[in-house]
Amino acid sequence: MSAISILIFLLVGAVIGWKFFPERWNKLNINIQLAATLVLIFSMGVSLGSRPDFIYEIANMGLRSLVFSVLAIVGSILVVYPLTKKYLEDPDWKEGREE
Amino acid sequence: MIIAAVICLLLGIVCGQFFFVPKMVELFSMVADYALIVLMFSVGISVGENKVLFRKMREYNVRVMVIPAGIVVGSLLGGIVGSLVLQMPLRESLCIASGMGWYSLSGVLLTDLVGAEIGTIAFLSNILREILTFLLIPVLAKYLNPYTAVAPAGATSSDTSLSILMKYTNEEVAMMAVINGLLCTALIPVLINSLFTLLS
Repeated sequence: MSAISILIFLLVGAVIGWKFFPERWNKLNINIQLAATLVLIFSMGVSLGSRPDFIYEIANMGLRSLVFSVLAIVGSILVVYPLTKKYLEDPDWKEGREE
Repeated sequence: MIIAAVICLLLGIVCGQFFFVPKMVELFSMVADYALIVLMFSVGISVGENKVLFRKMREYNVRVMVIPAGIVVGSLLGGIVGSLVLQMPLRESLCIASGMGWYSLSGVLLTDLVGAEIGTIAFLSNILREILTFLLIPVLAKYLNPYTAVAPAGATSSDTSLSILMKYTNEEVAMMAVINGLLCTALIPVLINSLFTLLS
């Protein structure tokens, strides 16, 4: 499926949620999300497990995953910390925005 | 949820490796396409119907964007460094880092867009992000500031990490964490799809 069609389904859903979706169906919607997610994760596993060299690839993937998670966390902290120091901890700025 | 997700992934791997014939694998690839349509539509509904999000965003003004904007930029910088360190294509690396803790969606989206290997790295790295977040929140709240404790949580700050954030920070940060989580949740599919299309 193309990236654009995925975005279109997301957008159509958002418009329906904003304008027409009854609140009493929220629980059903959450359960549908959960079921679709689990089906997708299982399918991802099937697609991964069907690769002939899968066993050899998994160790390599684990290490790369760890590197990405650590770098994304470190990057987020390094950018968020100075921003919060400047914009959220500074009382003058805070008062100025809230007036 | 995290346990159910890992069990499903392991079951899928075992079935794909030992039990399913190629036709079955093909069938599940088709099923995944339809499940992804349902998921995207349903996530869209969740974001659209959340009136509290829009009300609180008006209340907090532009301040509410500080944390999510920092998380997005920081995660993408992490993706760029990851691409250089691991010698992986920039597009895939940025998409993996854009998962911001939402392991199920980033994993399945990237499996669909790129392939099972990148999808699995996205899945695992974002599960690890969630686990590491639990360990980091108390440390960041104590040694940096309570707002920064939201940074590692990314999209999980409005659900799985929220209880820990509430324990180690305060009400104001908890409210910002909820808004941050909802904004990141809405942004992740847009970011992954946009980066994938723009860098193709």
